[in-house]
Amino acid sequence: MSEDVLVIGGGIAGIQASLDLAEMGKKVYLVEKKPSIGGIMAQLDKTFPTNDCSI
Amino acid sequence: MLDAGRHPNIKIMAYSEVEDAKGEAGNFKVKIRKKARYVNENICNACGECIEKCPKKAPDSFDMGLRDRKAIYIYFAQGIPAVATIDKDVCTFFLKGRCKLCEKICKKGAIDYEQKDEIVELDVGAVVIATGLEMFDPSHLTQYGYKRLKNIITGLEYERLINATGPTGGHLLRPSDKKLAKKVAYIQCVGSRDLNNCNYCSSVCCMYAIKDAMLAREHDSESDSYIFHTDFRNVGKWFQKYERRGKDEYGINYIRGRVAEITEDEEQNPVVWYEDTIERKVKSLKVDMVVLSTAAKPSSDAEKLSKMFGYELDENGFVRKNLPYPSDTTVPGIFACGFSQGPMDIPESVAAASAAADRVMETLAGLKLKKRA
Ligand SMILES: Cc1cc2nc3c(=O)[nH]c(=O)nc-3n(C[C@H](O)[C@H](O)[C@H](O)COP(=O)(O)OP(=O)(O)OC[C@H]3O[C@@H](n4cnc5c(N)ncnc54)[C@H](O)[C@@H]3O)c2cc1C
Ligand code: SF4
Repeated sequence: MSEDVLVIGGGIAGIQASLDLAEMGKKVYLVEKKPSIGGIMAQLDKTFPTNDCSI
Repeated sequence: MLDAGRHPNIKIMAYSEVEDAKGEAGNFKVKIRKKARYVNENICNACGECIEKCPKKAPDSFDMGLRDRKAIYIYFAQGIPAVATIDKDVCTFFLKGRCKLCEKICKKGAIDYEQKDEIVELDVGAVVIATGLEMFDPSHLTQYGYKRLKNIITGLEYERLINATGPTGGHLLRPSDKKLAKKVAYIQCVGSRDLNNCNYCSSVCCMYAIKDAMLAREHDSESDSYIFHTDFRNVGKWFQKYERRGKDEYGINYIRGRVAEITEDEEQNPVVWYEDTIERKVKSLKVDMVVLSTAAKPSSDAEKLSKMFGYELDENGFVRKNLPYPSDTTVPGIFACGFSQGPMDIPESVAAASAAADRVMETLAGLKLKKRA
């Protein structure tokens, strides 16, 4: 049995899931099809409902 | 993003895709194709000198095609990993067999035209699907004039225009003449809540349209915004207040009405024809630019992945939640989070991601106990 985890998609959801798993001691492979991670959020300037900067 | 890049337990495999998968909870065998970048990831330090000299251009997909990038490019400045990639489909060397300028310029020797796709096999105990969303293409909804009329853009294109690091340095310069767009109309539910297209509410567009109009006013005190909505669906925490602030503090005009058609005048100013459903009158409004709040759809890979792993999708193509466990798919050991499961905003995606991570931990711990017993 393997205890490693594969996360498919490197947007905010995949990044958060990877970080949580990594913090809980799992080895995580985060696979992203684009040249770098970030997803839609990386393309945004500010985000509702706080209008804070996105990255 | 940066934290994920630095974490010793996370191996980021970008520019990669899942090619094949088999197995079951605790024991999945997955094949990943690491696509060739033709740049050595371990050597490149993203200095950008090669990019400056590269003679070939192509539309920049990160900037929604609103500006060009080079054949060798960095997807976006803060991206992780921060390395260059050669687009084989436009690179002069790959097309014509000569050039190699980037190789000559790179003092570190990171360029490698011989690089091949690499297949990596992984043994994992659990999988989390987080393939997110893709934008609906409104070109076939000819009444809105997208691609036919110049000053009609989508919500995600707008996000790049208003972004200080974007193609216009954060100025709302409209496509036809690069003049500052002061009067902007936002059209809601384009492709969403539509029996023939996306038969669901995309749930984030009412809020992002209000945000976009607020940002326009913050950049330019004379900006004037009109949001044409079916009915506002701002149902999250603080959303109602946000909607009201948009009107009271930013002077956004909210118009309840479905838009029938967009035409343009001789100066390429869009004219929005709509039925005001409160006054029950057909009216028109001339603006400088129109933003279409287009639907968000599941990733175009959603179906391929669901077949590969065997879990079900729902009627709209999102990963089916195995209720009452919202993080579970219909296959044990495979979980999902974020927009891949259906429309949700960033805070909801983060919550769903943490929930999925917890279900992974529970499942792996359970399997380990069973093995020991
Ligand atoms: C125009 C617009 C404005 C928005 N503004 C806001 C806002 O202000 N505030 C807010 O809270 N929300 C906003 N949202 C919603 C927000 O973008 C989403 O909630 C969020 O991006 C969802 O995150 P995700 O990780 O699930 O998906 P995504 O951000 O879509 O990330 C998915 C990732 O998976 C990758 N991927 C896809 N398929 C594969 C595959 N087969 N293999 C490997 N990788 C794959 C993609 O390349 C992508 O990087 C906005 C959305 C849009 C469209
Ligand atoms: S969030 Fe608003 S604009 Fe988007 S589909 Fe729902 S009602 Fe329409």
